[in-house]
Amino acid sequence: MPVIEVVNLSKKFRTNRKEPGIAGAVKALFRPVVQETAAVDGVRFTVEPGEVVGYIGVNGAGKSTTIKMLTGILEPTAGMVRVLGRDPHRQRVDNAREIGVVFGQRSQLWWDLAFIESLNLISKIYEIDPGRYRELLDQFCGMLDLGDLLRVPIRSMSLGQKMRAELTAALIHEPRIVYLDEPTIGLDLIVKERIREFIREQNKRNGTTVFLTTHDLGDIEKLCRRVIIIDAGRIIYDGPLTTIQERFGRYRTITFETAGFAATISLPPGVETAPQNPEDRKLILKFDRTKTTASKVASAVMDQIDVVDFSLAEPDLSSVVRQIYNGALKENVPP
Amino acid sequence: MIRRIWTKMRALAAFAGMIPKLFLAYRLWVWMDFFVRIFSLTVFYYFWNAVYAGGGDIRGLSLAQTLNYILLAQILSPLVQSRLPMVMGRLVREGDVGIELLRPVDFQSRWYAECMGVSATMIVIQIPLVIIACVCFEMHLPSDPRVWAVFAVTVWLGQAVVFLFDWMFSCLVFYTTEVWGLWVLREGVAAFFSGALVPLQFMPEWLERICRAMPFAQALYVPVSILSGIAPVSDAPRLWLIQIAWIVGLGILSRTFFGVAIRKVTVQGG
Amino acid sequence: MRILRYCRLYREFLLQRFKILMEYRINFLIGAASTLVLQAASLLTVWVVMRQVPNLKGWTFDEILLIYGLVTLARSIPHMFADNLWTMGGQYIRTGGFDRFLVRPINPLFHLLADRFCHDGLGNFLVGAVLVAKSSAAVGIHWTPFLAVYLIAAVISGAAIFFALQLMTSVSAFWIMESVPVTQMVFNLHEFARYPLTIYPKVVSTLLTWVIPFGFASFYPACFLLGRPAGILPWLGPITAAILLAVSYRVWLFGLRHYASTGS
Repeated sequence: MPVIEVVNLSKKFRTNRKEPGIAGAVKALFRPVVQETAAVDGVRFTVEPGEVVGYIGVNGAGKSTTIKMLTGILEPTAGMVRVLGRDPHRQRVDNAREIGVVFGQRSQLWWDLAFIESLNLISKIYEIDPGRYRELLDQFCGMLDLGDLLRVPIRSMSLGQKMRAELTAALIHEPRIVYLDEPTIGLDLIVKERIREFIREQNKRNGTTVFLTTHDLGDIEKLCRRVIIIDAGRIIYDGPLTTIQERFGRYRTITFETAGFAATISLPPGVETAPQNPEDRKLILKFDRTKTTASKVASAVMDQIDVVDFSLAEPDLSSVVRQIYNGALKENVPP
Repeated sequence: MIRRIWTKMRALAAFAGMIPKLFLAYRLWVWMDFFVRIFSLTVFYYFWNAVYAGGGDIRGLSLAQTLNYILLAQILSPLVQSRLPMVMGRLVREGDVGIELLRPVDFQSRWYAECMGVSATMIVIQIPLVIIACVCFEMHLPSDPRVWAVFAVTVWLGQAVVFLFDWMFSCLVFYTTEVWGLWVLREGVAAFFSGALVPLQFMPEWLERICRAMPFAQALYVPVSILSGIAPVSDAPRLWLIQIAWIVGLGILSRTFFGVAIRKVTVQGG
Repeated sequence: MRILRYCRLYREFLLQRFKILMEYRINFLIGAASTLVLQAASLLTVWVVMRQVPNLKGWTFDEILLIYGLVTLARSIPHMFADNLWTMGGQYIRTGGFDRFLVRPINPLFHLLADRFCHDGLGNFLVGAVLVAKSSAAVGIHWTPFLAVYLIAAVISGAAIFFALQLMTSVSAFWIMESVPVTQMVFNLHEFARYPLTIYPKVVSTLLTWVIPFGFASFYPACFLLGRPAGILPWLGPITAAILLAVSYRVWLFGLRHYASTGS
């Protein structure tokens, strides 16, 4: 039986559109222009116990709104959510006992309290058995290296320390499902690695289901076998990670800094010029990885013009989503 | 030279001009302020009527005079309120003081311009209250233009006094993080010793002396006495001299205090 | 059972809060002192004025102090335990911090209130207690157990009235992200209740009795304690408080539902 079941889930927001300036403000006072936008629009998926699901999309795609509905913060406009068989909004308190939530940008802890005091308070809120609490605390201290942090108030922690603290606080009551909203945002590589390792460990050891949003493809690659991509409130992809890797990995861009203005040059097959600013002494090329390689493109270009430097861009998530979105619309990927 | 002063002035005017826009953005706050102030005017009106219920003058002031003074003082009481400690607190907490100091306009002058903008807006916003007070609470405004002119000058000078005091006081936020408490403390002291709650004439001598030793009366009691007719226009030169003495003294003190306090930030590196 | 759990939980919150306060001892003192100064300013005003006249429409200085003390006491209790209602908009809703109350398995209102015990209220409580003690001695109230119980009930009802009105108005934060303007408008009406309601015209005293019933927090209990005629009104405080509490919690739930549908 799935732990999360989402059917035709929609969330519409009504916003008052305001024109800029004082005149606009006065106008809005008398005749507000109401606009209805669907942040989430007919979403449907299920998550099985023990799965680690990456829920990705560009900013404003509807990720946070979905998570807020799954956690019971928001009430859906239409459709159905079931988390462990419950309606998370109507049965908010019961649902809250079984879930852990980390909002990457916002703290769930008490700013001025020493971390351990925050944890103690949380253990009381969730009514964790004191013996079990001590056991888990020991375990987490080992895995996340929290020993020195326990006495430190959250306000004086670094970003990485804070995130480790947040994760501990969200998992100390052994939730069956954890929602992680951008858990690695702004962190350095070592901390990211440690956090991913911890999440994986929790998933493996306790069978905790993990629902994760992120802008970092590294998180997805290291943690998720399954990915759901949402764009403009609709799911545009739901399937294994490997399929995406094949698709988005296909096109890459390479940027050359040229000594003079770039003349027209002949390009090898599978390469095309990307839109570029003529004033920059830059040549940006896009190539199909299945047809050629970066080094082939580079040498072909350097044979023809003077190149000062060149760089190879890693595909970022927004371009991946865009590619997949385009790909979903047209069978043939654009030339 | 003149050109340079002109551009300076324009820069300062731009800062001052932003304030009314901000107020409109917070229109709900304006409405709230309006109602809250009407409540307190009402309380004061009936309170003082009850005080005078026995009839006769008290301390040489008739009911009409006292009411005139109190209503005006209440309406103009924002003149002795200041958000400077809060603003400074935020700048220090977020470490923005360093950035502020880098701007090509003198830090204190810039804030003076902003505070004048606030005060000017404050006075304009009070116009509906003035009308209400005149219609409902028998307040009278003078018709002699000289009174208004003297009033305007005393307000302007008094504002500078309070601004400089607040500048000095705000330096405390470099040493404490409890800005809110400090601010409440200052507002409470200012409300009483500025004469916003009761005319100085009513006070026993020792209390009145404390009031005169504090800067707040310069910004409220002095101008309101002129406008309400308690103090004659002929008193103006004397009042101005006292105000200017305050400005010079506090001007020197505020700059010194700030110089000492800012070192705390620069040493700690924000 | 559930109440017991919440009481224990509140104790935990309070303990943590005091740890923070002790860490910032100077702030603690400034905060508690700030309200003392505000009260001192208003009290000085009353004192300065009452020196000049024998009474205020038949109410002596000490009697007025009793009224003043009662309203200050009543107000200090929500000031200590429910001050977060003021900052709910800016501190929690605008920043999105309110969400964390909704993912925890306890009542969000409880969580919001317990999150910050406000020490500033201690100053008010002290002022109120001293005023009531001193003025009742000065006017020669003979304290019996019955009167003491009445006083406690009156203060608690008054506190509940303050709290309920604040709760009701703070709900506006769910719509406009800011609760201070609306709350302040209602809250400041309590200034009327610092003086005998008889000095005001009928409209005002009716308003303070039946619409925004701050009169039950000060004037009517004072009437009873002083043995002045006020009919049945001195007995209506607890009922008014209970009704207001029930209504305000409904309003709060309504606000929460709105939050759940907009998340703003």
